[in-house]
Amino acid sequence: MRKTIESKKYLLACAITIIVFFGALLVSNKLSAQRVAEIKAIENNISMDILASETQFALLKDSSCKAIDHSTAFSDELNTLSQKLSYMEDNLGIDNPEVISLKKYYSILQVKDYLLVKQVKEKCGAKPITIIYFYSNKDDCVECAREGFVLTKLRTEFPELRVYSFDYNLDISVVKTMKSIYGVRNTLPALNIWEENYYGFKSAEDIEKIIPQLKRIRAERERAEALKVATSTRK
Amino acid sequence: MRVIFSKMVETFFSSILYVFLFFSLYLEVFFLITFFEEREKMSVVKPTNKLSHYPSATIIVPCWNEEKTVSGTIDSLLALNYPQNKLNILIVDDGSTDNTWHVIQKFINTPQVSLIKKENGGKHTAVNLGIEESTSELVGCLDADSFVEKDALLEIARAFNEDSAMMAATPMLVVHQPKNVLQKMQQTEYHAGAFLKRLLSPLDAIYVTPGPFSIFRRTVFEKIGLYKEAHNTEDMEFALRMQKHHMRIRNVHTAQVHTTTPDTVYKLYRQRLRWAYGIMKNTLDYRFMLFAREYGLLGMIALPLSFFGVFVFLYNFGFILFYTVQAGIAKSVEVSVAGLSALIPRFDTFYLNTDFMALLAYILFGIGLVIIWNGIKLAEGRFRPSMSIFYFLVLYGFIAPFWFMRAVFNVALSKGTKWR
Repeated sequence: MRKTIESKKYLLACAITIIVFFGALLVSNKLSAQRVAEIKAIENNISMDILASETQFALLKDSSCKAIDHSTAFSDELNTLSQKLSYMEDNLGIDNPEVISLKKYYSILQVKDYLLVKQVKEKCGAKPITIIYFYSNKDDCVECAREGFVLTKLRTEFPELRVYSFDYNLDISVVKTMKSIYGVRNTLPALNIWEENYYGFKSAEDIEKIIPQLKRIRAERERAEALKVATSTRK
Repeated sequence: MRVIFSKMVETFFSSILYVFLFFSLYLEVFFLITFFEEREKMSVVKPTNKLSHYPSATIIVPCWNEEKTVSGTIDSLLALNYPQNKLNILIVDDGSTDNTWHVIQKFINTPQVSLIKKENGGKHTAVNLGIEESTSELVGCLDADSFVEKDALLEIARAFNEDSAMMAATPMLVVHQPKNVLQKMQQTEYHAGAFLKRLLSPLDAIYVTPGPFSIFRRTVFEKIGLYKEAHNTEDMEFALRMQKHHMRIRNVHTAQVHTTTPDTVYKLYRQRLRWAYGIMKNTLDYRFMLFAREYGLLGMIALPLSFFGVFVFLYNFGFILFYTVQAGIAKSVEVSVAGLSALIPRFDTFYLNTDFMALLAYILFGIGLVIIWNGIKLAEGRFRPSMSIFYFLVLYGFIAPFWFMRAVFNVALSKGTKWR
């Protein structure tokens, strides 16, 4: 006699499958939520850092610039944040409300940092090395991904360089104001370096030509390293 | 508009994938439950080496141009731990054009062995001739490129003695002396296959009685007839015919048979194309069994799986290929801009892919590993890690789509396959 179909076993397998299947969905959602929380925590940190620096700046308005500590380490934090945000954009999708909200907050933080750096540098008479980058995640910008990689590479090599990236299509007044202040057209990718707009893909070499300081920084660093090696060899 | 359309297309294709993933998971869970039910019976410890009754048996060895392996095959049969007066070996030379007939002459004086030469007519004709010539209680076949373990027939005879309703027994097939990467890959594939076949056995859902050492009660042939050509996969058609008549087929995992496997990609491709094509065509011939409760798990799960599984496999492969190519292009853009340092993975748990789809893939992969683990344990007594597992995991998914795609193509155009 053929083995008959035991409904109980089929149902048990079905129940376990449903539990595992939806369990995986729950775990995945939970992990996503954790990531969002991690990004929020980084944003809060940065926000507090900016607030601290602003307060410090206000307090020490008339004293030495050196006392104002708005270090390059801060740029690293923004860098990590931008990488994590772009990862979340890939995973949760560009239309995800959480992602959009995180991006909006990130954009505001960038503008605040930009203003603070500008004020500090002006007071100290130095020109900040900043790039304002407008991109789009939609199909209208083919070169944006490549430009993003170029800027990430430069940012890693030169912690002195501050890159502020804005989603051109992000529906937030701060970004709209930045666009109108600098008169950025919808020809992406667009870079604004020292209040001048550059459209289309720019390689690392192109950007180094626009910002000659970068080459100088590299040369100085190489000289310092050579000196360090020479000193340690002598010892 | 374009964005919305591409989003809809993406959602459509991923929804299909989720349905497939759900069913794959269901099947794996179902097999695991069966495994827990059967675990005790799946030990490899043999109770005794003696039987109360030794049914007489005829083993037919059909050969066509097997001069290199046939001697070894016959030697392994002569070495079987089975009474000599109960075992007949019938070598049928199916019109070989090489030295096979000369090679087998050395057995002419062995009392247990008979030699028959006939005109070439295909494997099924050679086996049928042997069946017609035989008079024993049990009749089986052993391909001339396979070798039996000493106790294989004893174990099968024991199973027949214990279960009078059992009409056919299939052995556990393992790869004979795997040498190159391709054969090692097949070794793990055979191990996993052996485990699944063992699980299908108590569910009455075996749909192939493979050429190497499937043994039948004589009455089976008397009741349902002899082998047919059956798209060059007569062993599948015969099993389906038995199932149609509700005849019990069991897998006896303690009876091990070593089979020679293809050693080149082309030979493997030809063999698997024949199998995949045969499975699909025979399933279509026996389509009345599909989703018919009358045929139990065979009709409801095993047969639909073997047929539609090909499409699911190809769909999943296409999906993975699409995303791999997409990710590969993105990575190459990154490397072209940022240099080779972009290839270094980021060691931050933040970037670990924990998408719903990825989590499901991890789970399916994990259960797959459990199946491989238990397959090896069933075949070798204990789990031993080997490169074979690695080759299987890395290579199989890349090469199997080729014969599956061709098989679907051939079925669609009703284009037959060749034996070699």
